Amino acid sequence: MDIEDKTLKALATSLKFRQMRQELISSNIANAETPGYKAKRIDFEEALARALDVDGQMGMDSNDSEHYDVGSGGFNNLEPKIYNDPNGIVSENGNTVDKDDEMAKMAENKILYDASVQLLNKKLGLMKYIIGGER
Amino acid sequence: MDVLTSLKISSSGLAANKKRMAAISSNIANAQTTRTAEGGPYRKKEVVFGSEPARDNFSDILEGELEEMAQKVHATEVISTNKPPILKYEPGHPDANDKGYVAYPDINVMEEMANMISASRNYEANISAFNTAKGMAVKALEIGRN
Repeated sequence: MDIEDKTLKALATSLKFRQMRQELISSNIANAETPGYKAKRIDFEEALARALDVDGQMGMDSNDSEHYDVGSGGFNNLEPKIYNDPNGIVSENGNTVDKDDEMAKMAENKILYDASVQLLNKKLGLMKYIIGGER
Repeated sequence: MDVLTSLKISSSGLAANKKRMAAISSNIANAQTTRTAEGGPYRKKEVVFGSEPARDNFSDILEGELEEMAQKVHATEVISTNKPPILKYEPGHPDANDKGYVAYPDINVMEEMANMISASRNYEANISAFNTAKGMAVKALEIGRN
């Protein structure tokens, strides 16, 4: 077993992207009154699910480490989509930020971030236990 | 990509809203001011917001797409609006013109109050964002602690 398995990688990636999302939400809130500013969004769930490839349907088998990772792509070249929210309601100054929406998204993101940290800690605790770090 | 950028963005929002608040206070305080240093009645001040990339370091910008997308806000300029003053007939007033009219600034205090509430809410929203980012940073320090 690789010590850095899928779970750890997935959790680390999710933490990274949730932090990015927080950054974009901060940006949206700070620019809630800036004329012409468009609300920014980041989508990484789909890319992460593809990289995780739980059911093994996404990737192609390879029997050499030199083979390109086809399909699932692995965790290293995960590219989240960052875009201007097309569903925002445009106010009279061209701004599309809905502050309540941002706050809700921020709360959700924070909870899921904390959950990821907790899972990561459990996973690390488990590994520690297995290698006898807990006596 | 670091948590400090989130904090920087939120603090830029705090600063910008504070500036706006200052302009609003100035407008309310000077709603009846007929005499200013540049002459004539007080002119309503308005703060213009603009966004700029949160990172100005070139190598940071090369890092990726996010760097262009996350935007700080800053109060680009404070403008004095050109709304024509309201003329009131007050012949005894020292600033009255030769026909006895005094030019008062056209400031709607109700409107200013509404703007003030909006600025205050924005300020609070930025504080929430700041605290959330801080909470995430603190939480990240807990990884592997037990």
